[in-house]
Amino acid sequence: MTALVIDPAIDEPVYGQIARQLREAIVAGALPPGRTLPAVRTVASDLGVNLNTVARAYRQLQEEGFLEIAHRTGARVIGPPASAARDRVEPLRRDLRATVARLLQAGLDRGQLREMLEAELAALGGRRRG
Amino acid sequence: MEDTAILWMVALETVFAGAIYLVLPRIARHGLLFGVYVGEERATAEAARRIRRLWTRWVLGATTVTVALQLLLRRPLGAILCLAVFAVGLLFLYLWSHFASRALAPTAPPPPAVAVLEDDGSGGILPHATLAFAVACGLLALAYAGVSYPSLPERIPTHFGLSGAPDGWSAKSLGSVLLLPFLGVVQGLVLGLLCLLVSQAKRALRLNDGGASLRAQHAFRRAMTRFLCGITWLVSLTLLIASVFAIRTAQGRSAGLPMAVLGLAGLLLVVALGGIVVLAVRYGQGGARLEGAATAPLTDGLADNRYWVLGMFYVNRNDPSMMVENRFGLGYTLNFGNWKAVVGLAGLLVFVLGLTLFAILGVR
Repeated sequence: MTALVIDPAIDEPVYGQIARQLREAIVAGALPPGRTLPAVRTVASDLGVNLNTVARAYRQLQEEGFLEIAHRTGARVIGPPASAARDRVEPLRRDLRATVARLLQAGLDRGQLREMLEAELAALGGRRRG
Repeated sequence: MEDTAILWMVALETVFAGAIYLVLPRIARHGLLFGVYVGEERATAEAARRIRRLWTRWVLGATTVTVALQLLLRRPLGAILCLAVFAVGLLFLYLWSHFASRALAPTAPPPPAVAVLEDDGSGGILPHATLAFAVACGLLALAYAGVSYPSLPERIPTHFGLSGAPDGWSAKSLGSVLLLPFLGVVQGLVLGLLCLLVSQAKRALRLNDGGASLRAQHAFRRAMTRFLCGITWLVSLTLLIASVFAIRTAQGRSAGLPMAVLGLAGLLLVVALGGIVVLAVRYGQGGARLEGAATAPLTDGLADNRYWVLGMFYVNRNDPSMMVENRFGLGYTLNFGNWKAVVGLAGLLVFVLGLTLFAILGVR
């Protein structure tokens, strides 16, 4: 059973927590392609948050390519394309380079950085090619 | 004879109410104590048990004394007054228990909110069909009364005894003829919407419990929805038949209300009381009895004491839910922080007040 857990104590906006957990669940395979997510109202009611907060998380994931949102069918998980599209990968690679630079600047060495990356990949689990 | 029947009905009602209030603390969701979230561990500690014991003794005592007084007085009005005092007394007892429970409430922040990405369990057409049926019954009765209005005599029966025969008359007017059918339309709308809202009521889940609270919540919500839909169907049918036969009696085509009306009213009483007992004993409030040991903490609205006033009124402007689970009692309550719920309730109260005034002035 896949659940969203919102912790008001952590320093991350609620919509960000929702989007992050959904993203991780999709990548891990817990929410397979084709799966329809509950309506915005249902999730907002369960979490006791404003409708717009959940809607914002869904829209963010739609922009990132994880969901497609249709008026009648709601939000549906979409799978990754058969091959990585350069125009989608390049901006993300630049973000990754910036994050790596910041982690190195924070004091991590390259070995520690590799271990961190492996740990994150393991945590995401689910569908991986190669 | 009628006075004796009323006296015994009121006394039995007192016994039933007392029995329900005895059971309520035992069917609440684990972790809740008289409208306060104290945590799953503290809810079974000696301090909590002491509050429950006092509650039990006072409810037993009050019920016994009230029923004894009612039977001694031997007057329906006296019995009703005793019941009213009993109800007020129970309210004060609840408030005492509530404030005593507050002392056990944790100071730590409530557990994080949980949403499950599963089917929300509100499917099925029963609530929609119930709303449609109830409103249709009311409109049918209204149409029948409207069409029959010209053929009615100048004095029409407006009250019927237990035998179904008319025992009170009023002058013919729009108010006296259309009041009952109009009530049918209103009750159809109100009860039908209630069924729909309950079927979509907010879920109150536990953190990391493997889905036990989700299954329990869905089972309780389905049972509560079916119960309310059953009540709505019976009330709608009863009002429809009563409206039609009130008109037919006025026209001289019937001697009074048929036994079917009394039969339906009796069935309604059995279903209402029996349903409450089944919901309480088999399911518990919010499915509490289906959750098992329930050591996982409750989350979000039900566990956050900041959003509850006296453990009875839920006020959370951020929460889009209309109906939320009761902390103490059986069933659901409104989210008074949701403006639609407040407007709806205010509208209903204004309408009922207006209808009452219309009935008084119209019937006269």
